[in-house]
This record gives sequence, C-alpha cells and structure tokens, in this order.
Amino acid sequence: MSYSILIVDDSLPMRSVIKKTIRAAGYGKSEFLEAANGKEALTLLKNNWVDMVMTDHNMPVMNGLELIRAVKADTLLNTIPMVVISTEGNESRIREFMEGGAAGYLAKPFAAEAIRDLIVKFLGEASYDEGDLDGNENLDF
Amino acid sequence: MKAILTAMKTSISEVMETMFFLPVEFVEEPALKQIKALKGRQNKACCLDFSGDFSGSVYLLVPNPLLLEMAENFMGESGESLKEEILDGTLTEAVNMMAGNALRRIKTKIPFELSIPKLVPGSQFPETKGTLIIKTTGPDMAVHITFR
Repeated sequence: MSYSILIVDDSLPMRSVIKKTIRAAGYGKSEFLEAANGKEALTLLKNNWVDMVMTDHNMPVMNGLELIRAVKADTLLNTIPMVVISTEGNESRIREFMEGGAAGYLAKPFAAEAIRDLIVKFLGEASYDEGDLDGNENLDF
Repeated sequence: MKAILTAMKTSISEVMETMFFLPVEFVEEPALKQIKALKGRQNKACCLDFSGDFSGSVYLLVPNPLLLEMAENFMGESGESLKEEILDGTLTEAVNMMAGNALRRIKTKIPFELSIPKLVPGSQFPETKGTLIIKTTGPDMAVHITFR
C-alpha cells in the first residue's frame, strides 16, 4: 500500500534525508509532498490528501507549532497525524507541541530507525514488496 | 556558562556522528593562532541566534572539503552531484541541530527561541578564546558561542 506523506522543513537537505530514510524503511511506493514552511504546507494540504505530516518547528513565515494549530482547527484536516521532527525539544516545548495537537515528536539528530518507528506507529508496517524499487538506498535497519 | 559548553560538546559529537557519520575529538584549549589558521582556509560559516533565560549566537566554521564530506554523508550522494544550495543547507542544518540539541539540555524556565540559521562570511567568525576546535577525519572545524 502506498501512502502520501508531507514533509515540512526549511532545509532542503533535511527534507531529502527524511524522504530517503522513509523509502529505505520499506515505503518506497509512497508519494511525498514537500513544503519549506507552515504556510506552504497549508496550501498543499488544502489541495492534496495526505496520510501523515512530518514537520520541523523552527521555520520562517509559519513555524511548526503554528502549522499544527492551524491543521487541528480545520475540520477537514484535523484527523491527519502530525509529527514534529525538530531540534527544539525541552519538556515545555514538547508539551506545547502535544497540547497543540501533535501526535508525536522526534528530536534531531535522529537515527534512521527512529524515522521508521514513527512511520510504523502511524501508518503500519510496510509490505515486503514496498522497498525502494530503484535500489539506490543503502541504509540498514 | 560552563554548562552550555559541555552541552555543546555533547551535541556536536551526537550530530556529527549520527547525521554526518564522522567521529570527532575536541582540541583542548586551542590557541588563537589555530583559529586564525582555520579562518585562513577556504571555508563557509553560518550563525544562529538564540534567546531565553540567556541569549547569544552560535557560529560554525567548516572548511570546504569537510563540508563536502559532511554533505556527501548526510545525503548519501557523491560530491559531484551536490549543488551549492545543498552544501549551504547542510551547513545551516548542522548549526541548527548542534545549537538546538545543546540548548534543550539546559534547564530553563522558558524554552529557548532559535533564529533561522544564516550564512555569514568566514571572516565574521569570532577570533576569541572559548572557541571549540573540532578534529574530524578531514580538516578541523570550529564552533563559537557568544553571549549578550
């Protein structure tokens, strides 16, 4: 089964690394949408259905917490699981994310396994044949 | 401020080893001439401001060959395919992770706010004591924290 995952991060390399890590975890058939800030993400969400959002917090224009609050306030979008992947994560900040409606939090730096665990938690185990068909990912799990 | 330097060292080790697959060692009490020598190389630098119970900036200076190696390891791609935008993004993401990971280890009443990291000329890297010089498999790099 393929999924649609929105990755929100102002860092182009970080978006690419998250995408590759998800593919290497066995979700190679998934479709990815990318946004560089919360505002871009909201525009994409209004025109595309996604199964999950992975968002950074510290971004220009609209940060991750503002994005989560906006999505959770929208009755058409508020069932989408939103996971924060951020360097900012002391206890009170994580509480803010969770109270805002985040379903999970992962601290940067992260191991590839942690991304896979998040995907499995919210989307379920990948089918055996969902691996990267290009064969150009070489991360071990 | 010793606590933040200790947290920064731990953070740098974690970020470099987990995301860039490079082991690091810290030069104990580096001399100013070592910082000058680093600044004399072809390099890129960036800076990120933070504010909270105390405020300041974190600077990162990375020689170009080391930045290329970091980007290759981060992206899992050969250097030939990496555009300038990716190298710059790797540098700013590195300082973002190093600073954020260090600051979340400091117990404070209010969470630190981090700015968006920005590229700065290498010449702006502070030439003062307290700089962390970090040895890797490639050329050395440097991190400096200034307080306001």
